Amino acid sequence: MSTDTQNTAVAQPDEHEEGENYLNHETSVWSWLSTKDHKRIGVLYCVTLALVFLAAGVLALVMRAELSGPGETMMANDTYNQVFSMHGIMMVFLFLVPSIPAILGNFVLPMQIGAKDVAFPRLNLASWYVYLAGATLTIMALLWGGVDTGWTFYTPYSKTTGGGVLWMTSAIFVAGFANIFTGLNFIVTIHKMRAPGMTWNRLPLFVWGMYATSIVQVLATPVIGITMVLLILEQVLQIGIFDPSLGGDPVLFQHFFWFYSHPAVYIMILPAFGIMSELIATFSRSRIFGYRAIALSSVAIAMLGFLVWGHHMFVSGQSVVSSIVFSLITYLIGIPSGIKVFNWVATLYKGSIWLQTPMIYALSFLFLFSIGGFTGIMVGVLSVDVHLHDTYYIVSHFHYVMMGGTVVALLGGMHYWWPKITGRMYNETLGKIAAFLVFVGFNLTFFPQLVLGAKGMPRRYATYADRFTDLHQLSTAGSGVLGVGLFLVLGYALWSLKYGEKAPANPWGAATLEWTNVAALPDPHNFKRTPLITRGPYDFHLADEVFGGGDGEADGDQGLRVPDAAPAAPLEPSRDA
Amino acid sequence: MSDDGHHILPKATLLKVFGGLIFLTVLTVAVAYVPLGPLAVPVAIGIAATKATLVVLYFMALRYDNPVNALTFTIGIIMVMVFITFTMIDTAFRGDMGNVDRQTMGEIEREQEAAQQQQEQIPSEQLRVAPADYPDDRGADAGAASGDSDS
Amino acid sequence: MATDTDIAPAPTETDHHDHPAHLQHHFVSSEQQFDSAKLGMWLFLITEILLFSAMFVAYAVYRQWHPETFVAASETLNVTMGTINTIVLLTSSLTVALSIHYIQKDEVKKCIYNLGATLVLAGGFMVIKYFEYTSKFEHGAYPGGMFDPHGGHYAQLADVPFASQFFSIYFVMTGIHGLHVIIGMAVIGWVAVRAWMGSFSSEYYTPVELTGLYWHLVDIVWIFLFPMLYLI
Repeated sequence: MSTDTQNTAVAQPDEHEEGENYLNHETSVWSWLSTKDHKRIGVLYCVTLALVFLAAGVLALVMRAELSGPGETMMANDTYNQVFSMHGIMMVFLFLVPSIPAILGNFVLPMQIGAKDVAFPRLNLASWYVYLAGATLTIMALLWGGVDTGWTFYTPYSKTTGGGVLWMTSAIFVAGFANIFTGLNFIVTIHKMRAPGMTWNRLPLFVWGMYATSIVQVLATPVIGITMVLLILEQVLQIGIFDPSLGGDPVLFQHFFWFYSHPAVYIMILPAFGIMSELIATFSRSRIFGYRAIALSSVAIAMLGFLVWGHHMFVSGQSVVSSIVFSLITYLIGIPSGIKVFNWVATLYKGSIWLQTPMIYALSFLFLFSIGGFTGIMVGVLSVDVHLHDTYYIVSHFHYVMMGGTVVALLGGMHYWWPKITGRMYNETLGKIAAFLVFVGFNLTFFPQLVLGAKGMPRRYATYADRFTDLHQLSTAGSGVLGVGLFLVLGYALWSLKYGEKAPANPWGAATLEWTNVAALPDPHNFKRTPLITRGPYDFHLADEVFGGGDGEADGDQGLRVPDAAPAAPLEPSRDA
Repeated sequence: MSDDGHHILPKATLLKVFGGLIFLTVLTVAVAYVPLGPLAVPVAIGIAATKATLVVLYFMALRYDNPVNALTFTIGIIMVMVFITFTMIDTAFRGDMGNVDRQTMGEIEREQEAAQQQQEQIPSEQLRVAPADYPDDRGADAGAASGDSDS
Repeated sequence: MATDTDIAPAPTETDHHDHPAHLQHHFVSSEQQFDSAKLGMWLFLITEILLFSAMFVAYAVYRQWHPETFVAASETLNVTMGTINTIVLLTSSLTVALSIHYIQKDEVKKCIYNLGATLVLAGGFMVIKYFEYTSKFEHGAYPGGMFDPHGGHYAQLADVPFASQFFSIYFVMTGIHGLHVIIGMAVIGWVAVRAWMGSFSSEYYTPVELTGLYWHLVDIVWIFLFPMLYLI
C-alpha cells in the first residue's frame, strides 16, 4: 500500500538531500521484503498494523451499530459474540501489543541512541514474518468458523466451542514470538549499541519507555505462549489441566492468562508514556521535569505490573487472601503512573507551548489517561470491583487506557515522526481537526459507558434493557465521530505521501538525535558519521523562539531555532578493543 | 580478566564441577529412599537448585561473565518465583470465601454474636481443665477468674 | 537469531577498515558483537525459563492439592532410567562445556569431538526417553482424558483420583523438554559442521558459546524435572 506510494513520493530528489536515503537507495519489492534496515521494517510493520487496526476498528463500529437500539438490530447474537471477540483479539494481540514498539520503536529507537541498526537485524525482519504468520493463522481462525470466547479464552468454554479457537490460539502463540524478538532486540540494542557519550542518563525517555516495555515483553510473552499451547493440548489431548470435568482447574487458566495479559497492558501503555515524554518536552520547549523519576518509574511499572494480575480475577473464585493481596499491590501501581503525569504537567508549567497536532494528542492523552488511571484505581478496589466486574465500566476503563492512552499516543507519535518517516509534512489544519474529532468522539463513545457500567449494564451482550437506550445511542453516535476522525487521519496521511510539503530535517526543533543528526529522510545507515553525545536529550537552551519552519543548517537568526547537532565521534571509538 | 566474557575455564574446574553434579545426582536418588516425610520435597528441590547453580555459575560461566547477563538471569528467576508464589497464594487458600450462600453478612454477624453470647454463658465450672482451676471451695466465677490470674 | 553470523557486506563507510569477516557492519567491534549476541542469548534463555515456569506452576498447584496422588504416581516411573538419563544429560553438558574450552584454545579438532559426543549423548537421552514413553503407553498411562492404566504396577493408579493429572504434567513437561533436546541436537549438529568447515577459532566462536548456553539450560530444566517427577 503506502510503501509503493512512498517510493514514488520521494522519487524526485529532495533539494535538502544529497540524493540517497533509506527509501530510494533500493526500490524493488524484494528489497523491501528482504530488508534488514530497522527503518524499513518499521514501515512494513506500520502498513501491516494499519490494516489490522482498520479491520478491528471496523468491527468496533459494527458492534456499536448493533447496539444502537435494544434487541436485535442488525445481527444475530452469535454473530455479535464473534464480532466482539475478534475485535478484542485483533486489537490486543495483533495491534496494541506490537503497535508502538514495532512501528515507532523500530523506526526511531536506533536513531535516538546513535546506532546504525538494532543489534540483530535479521531477527528483526524475522519478527515481521512471524507476525505475518500469526496474522495468517488469525484469518484461518475466521475461515474455520470464528471465535466467540472473547479475547480472554476462558476455559472451559473455550475448550468446547468451535474449531476457530485452535487456530486463534496458535496465532497468538506464533505472534507472541514476534513480540519476544522485538523486545529482545531492543534490550540488547539499548545495552550494547549506544553511541559514544550516550550514557543511561542521556537516553531519550522514549528509549527508556521502550526499555521497560521490552523487559515486560521478554518476561511475560513466553507465558501466554505456553498457556496457549496448554489450551491447544487441552482440546486435542484432553490433558485435563484446565477442564474441570477432567479434574482440572479453570481458574488456573485465568492465572496463566493474566500473568501475561496484565503485564501486556503495560506493554501497551509504557511505550505510550515514552512518546508522551518526547512530545511534551519538545512542544513545550522545556527540559523535561524529573527526568530520572520518569525513566525509573517506567521500570518500576514494568516490575510492579507483574504482581497485580489477580485483580482481573476478583470474582473468579480465587481465594480472598490473594484477592486482598492483589488489590493492595494494585494501588501501588498508581504511584509511578502518578509520578509521570505530575512530571509531564510540571514540564508544561512555564514552558513555551506550541500547539501543533502532536501536542494536541499529548494533551488529550493527559486527560484521557488520567480518567483511565483513576477508574483503574476504582476497579482495583476489591469490594467496588465485585459490583463493577464485567460491566461497561470495565469496558470503558480499559478503552480510556488502551485507546485514550496508547492509540492517542501512537497517533501523536505518528504525526510527530511522520516527517522523518516519509519526508513529508501532513496537513496541519486537517491534523488539528482530526485530533479534535478523535478527542470529542472518544469521550462521547466511552464516557456514557462509564455511567452505563455503574448502572449495571453487563459487557458482551448484543442487547440491553430499554432504560439503557439513551446512553447506548450516545455512545454509538460518539463512535461515529471517532471513526470520522480516524478516517480523516488516514486520508490526509495518504494524501501527504504524494502532495505533502517536503519536510526539513528538524521541523519541530527537537533535540534528540533522530532530528538533529539525521537528514530529513534518513540515510540507509542513519548517520553519516557516528555522533558523539555531549548533552542530554532535552537541551532546548539553544532554541529560544519557536515559530514557522526551518532546517537543521539555518540555526539562528530566522525561523525555528533548532538545537545543534552532536559532533561526530572519533574515527576509532574508544571502546574498540 | 574476570568480566570480559572470554574467560577460559580450566579443564580441571569443569571436571570438578561435573564430579560434584554426579555426586549430587547420586545423593538425591539415595535420599529419595530415606523416609523424610514433609522434608522430602524441600530436600529434593534444594539439591536440584544446588546442581542448577553449579551449572549456571561454571558450565555457563555466569560467575565470570558480564554482570548484566547475571542480572538478566536473576530477574528471570525472580519472575518464576513471583509466578509460583502468587498463584499458590490463591490455590493454597482456595474456597476461603465461606459465605457464598444466601445469608447476608448481617445475618452471619448476628449468628456469630449469638454464638459468642452462648459461649460466655457456659458455666465456668465446665471450663475448669487444670488443677489450678480448682482452688479450695470458692464460688465458680471467682475460681475461674483466679485461675486465669494465677497462670 | 542470536546466533547471527552473517559475513559482513562490503563496508559502505569510510571509517571501516580491515575488520574481521565475521563482524557485521552495524557493530563497531568484535567485542561489541560478541557481548550483544551473548546478552541476546541470556534474554532468550529467560524466555525459555518463563516458558517452562507455567508448567512448573501447574505441577506445584496440583501437587499441593493432591500430594498423595503425586507420590503414588511418581512411584510408577522408572527411577533407574531417570537416573541414567540425568547422568547422560549432565555428561553432555560437560562435553559441550569442554568444546567451548577447546575452541577458546584453538583446538578445533577436540572441539568437534566434544560436540560429536554431545550429539551422541543427546541421542542416547532421547532413546531412553523413547523406551520410557512406550512402556507407559503399553499400560495405558496416557495423558488426561485417555488415561486408562492397566497391567503391572500401573493398575493400582486406576483407583488413585487425579492420577491422570500427574501423567498429563509428566508428558507435557518431558515432551516439551524433549522437543528442546531435539532442537538442541539440530543446532549442535549445525555448529559441529561449521566448526569442521573451519568457521570458528579462538577469535570467533560465538555460535559455539551460545549453543552451549542453550544446551546447559536444557540440562537445568531436566535437573529439576528429574526429582520432581521421579523421586518425590
